[in-house]
Amino acid sequence: MIKIVQDDQALLLRLCNEQVKFVIIDGFCGIIHGVTLLTKDLDICCRFTTENLRRIEAAVKDLHPYHRLAANKLPLELTDELCGRLRNLYLQTDLGKLDCLSEVMGLGGFEAVLQRSVIYRLSYGEFRILDVDALITTKQAVGCEHDLAAVRQLLAIKEKTARRDT
Amino acid sequence: MIDEAILAQINGPYVCPPDAGPAWRAAAEYGFDMALVEDSLRMTPEQRIEEHQRALNLLLDIESARDLNDQNRPG
Repeated sequence: MIKIVQDDQALLLRLCNEQVKFVIIDGFCGIIHGVTLLTKDLDICCRFTTENLRRIEAAVKDLHPYHRLAANKLPLELTDELCGRLRNLYLQTDLGKLDCLSEVMGLGGFEAVLQRSVIYRLSYGEFRILDVDALITTKQAVGCEHDLAAVRQLLAIKEKTARRDT
Repeated sequence: MIDEAILAQINGPYVCPPDAGPAWRAAAEYGFDMALVEDSLRMTPEQRIEEHQRALNLLLDIESARDLNDQNRPG
């Protein structure tokens, strides 16, 4: 029996240990803000420099990573030449799915995403996640049913949190 | 003594708190169990992640079992 695993904490720790520069986006970011919808992958936006991509590779290298959207499950084997051509990395690892994006719809590239992020301190590290307004913006831009459903919760959470904080 | 108002709350469905704003009411009307969102907002971000991981593990276990059942199904 194949055991399906998605251990987001372990993936985050590995990225942190390798000093990958990234912002947590999408579903897992929503969870941190209080959304109750399940998400089955970890999405991050990161700088697609050779250095940063190499750090991602180092973070998952012993987890049998492969490009999960490639038809033949191509193993992750970066070269400097390939790093320069990559825009996204959709990885399957032994600890679950890790999607690394260079741009976020509705927000732009990493620098724009970084500006719309806030720091969350967890017991196992300090991470940047999209602020609630930025998460709403990108989910509205994507516009899938699932994303728009999440927007409804995020708007409610934003409203309630704003009232609580005033 | 459980009066009619309390009984209605016990029997459900979820009733928005009197101070709920329009976005909260819209999410409830859409069909979300906003009691779950209330619970989530009472947690720390770390507790939310742990809760999500527990739910996700359960879902993935179910999916693994379903895949196994599908493989073992005759024909």
